[in-house]
Amino acid sequence: MTDPVVESEFASVSVRLDTDGNSVRLRLEDLRTGRVRHLDALELETIIWLDDGRLTQLLDPSHERWRG
Amino acid sequence: MTAVVQPAPVATGQSRYSQLIRPDQVHGSLYTDPTIFAEELQKIWHKTWVFVGHESEVPQPNDYVRKQLATQDVIMTRDRDGEVHLLINRCAHRGLQVCDDASGNSSSFRCPYHGWTYRNTGELLGYPYNKGYGGKNKLELGMGKVPRVASYQGFVFGSLAADGPSLEEHLGAAAGEIDRLVGLSPEGEVSLDAGWLRHRTRSNWKFLAENETDGYHPQFVHGSIFGVTGSPIGALYSDSSTAVTRNLGNGHSENDLRPEFRNFAEPLRWFGTTPDRVPQYVAAMQESYGDDAERRLIEGAPHVMIFPNLFIAEIQVFNIQPVAVGECVQYATAVQLAGAPEMNKRMVSQSIGSVGPAGMLLADDTEMYERNQRGVQMLDPEWLDVRRGLQRESIDENGFTIGAATDETGMRGFWQHYRTLMEAED
Amino acid sequence: MGIDTATLPERPDVAGELLAIPAGWDVREVEQFLYKEARLADENDYDGWEALWTDDALYWVPVDGEGDHPLATVSVIYDNRNRISTRLKQVRTGKRYAQAPPSNLRRIIGNVELLGGRGNRDGGVDLELGANFVAIESRPRGNELWGGRTTYRLRKFGDEIRLVYKKVVLVDNERALPTLGFLI
Repeated sequence: MTDPVVESEFASVSVRLDTDGNSVRLRLEDLRTGRVRHLDALELETIIWLDDGRLTQLLDPSHERWRG
Repeated sequence: MTAVVQPAPVATGQSRYSQLIRPDQVHGSLYTDPTIFAEELQKIWHKTWVFVGHESEVPQPNDYVRKQLATQDVIMTRDRDGEVHLLINRCAHRGLQVCDDASGNSSSFRCPYHGWTYRNTGELLGYPYNKGYGGKNKLELGMGKVPRVASYQGFVFGSLAADGPSLEEHLGAAAGEIDRLVGLSPEGEVSLDAGWLRHRTRSNWKFLAENETDGYHPQFVHGSIFGVTGSPIGALYSDSSTAVTRNLGNGHSENDLRPEFRNFAEPLRWFGTTPDRVPQYVAAMQESYGDDAERRLIEGAPHVMIFPNLFIAEIQVFNIQPVAVGECVQYATAVQLAGAPEMNKRMVSQSIGSVGPAGMLLADDTEMYERNQRGVQMLDPEWLDVRRGLQRESIDENGFTIGAATDETGMRGFWQHYRTLMEAED
Repeated sequence: MGIDTATLPERPDVAGELLAIPAGWDVREVEQFLYKEARLADENDYDGWEALWTDDALYWVPVDGEGDHPLATVSVIYDNRNRISTRLKQVRTGKRYAQAPPSNLRRIIGNVELLGGRGNRDGGVDLELGANFVAIESRPRGNELWGGRTTYRLRKFGDEIRLVYKKVVLVDNERALPTLGFLI
């Protein structure tokens, strides 16, 4: 079964509920690079509550991935 | 009301424990005196290496599982880098229990009382309305941590003492017994992920530790099930058995049944089966170990008590944790061998039949522990006898004291180490 | 690691689907059977109790709520017909010390609900029902209070009702349990 994909012209991420751990996690895969991250429930809740401004800051390409 | 029979006053120049523990007898108050239990917590359970769980119980990054370390509720976590930690389940703010579920997956824990949040390594990550503390990151607080955590073949041990012998030093020769167990997996790995049975036992923990390598009791306590199933186990613990009881040092001991199984030279006899019943397993063992597979399959799994609380009974693992002077809990599970699905199903099924509150073996042992606890509250005689085989002990080729299959060599080793720990100055 | 549950048959409590209550069952008749089963267990009538079971019997006492897959994880009891027989043979020796002397027992069964039907290996449909229980056990160790919910499956052979399946979910099965030497 193929995992659902959240996709646009800018990014492509597959999404799955992962039950390999001791409780369920969200498994996210950046399909363009293969990088995988798991998010637990408390992390997801935290993301939901991120201030839009904070989330926008994280989108700055020099913030993490292309720190330069 | 628990009766505690007190021995004669301690003679000058003699420690309390040198008086209670003789080479051939131990005093009944060791099992019933709450002050001795309190001292054991300090000098044994909060100091030496105590078995807590297995790495396979937290297989994924950020997995956690609640465990017991003596009277302490601890959370075994695996951080995102794979390192295993033992946190004490108590919020640094008001002392509340932080984790309530038995297990889960989370990179951080949030106390339900006021929302204080910790990383799964124990560090305080933050607290709500931080102006009340002068801002973020103002507090040097965190969850309590078991200061020393180490594992051997995935078996996780914790020591609440910041300093002391290393886990390898503590395990000593007993490490080789864990290796023997792991060496029965074609992949050289075991997991303890088949769940735990929890057996509440109204007995002092030491009755269990002593019984685990007591080869004198099986024919009596387990005669009912041996007779009904035609089990050959009873004969391993008879007077004519060639098995030996070995004092492995540091309080560890084993019933080494290999001499018996070598005589029979039948692969998997120790497990009550034959190679044709588990062909894939035997093939996988031959693939991994070549000619040595035969020896492994003939000699079987260890029967070893690792001081103070890990008992490997061939295919079961027991974790014994004290609750009070007259109460403890036995946690038991089936060993699972990596790369051996045929064996694993059988091990689960056999374990369900044998151990836990309704087990056809362990419920009877537990009945004995509980009757024993009631018995030692009687006034006379004050002493328990541990001299069986003292006159026929010998030293094996590796320098360990050994006795016959039914001798109390293991108990004497236990008490020797117990006394050393209890007499140690803080 | 351990056992891959994908390689195992479905867990027996949810295997197949819950069908409609099969025809020909009367709740009073079912209750009478449950009371009889309880009395035989309470009075340690091992022969009478054993005779209630069918050949495809399953007697299950899980840990941790409804339990995990019983072929992959440990349970307090997971007995097929053969192991029920072994368990009873052991206790009949009189040297099963966890149950010698036997517990003094009485239990109350209530909240009996007919739940549906469950297909069996013979192509028939067994009656599935649930009931609550409270049991007082007295032993030299002290008194124990046991309580929980039992799911039963029953089959008729002519006029005779037989026990096919009994799953006992103890209310405290997430905690350490004392020795369970009697027939729960």
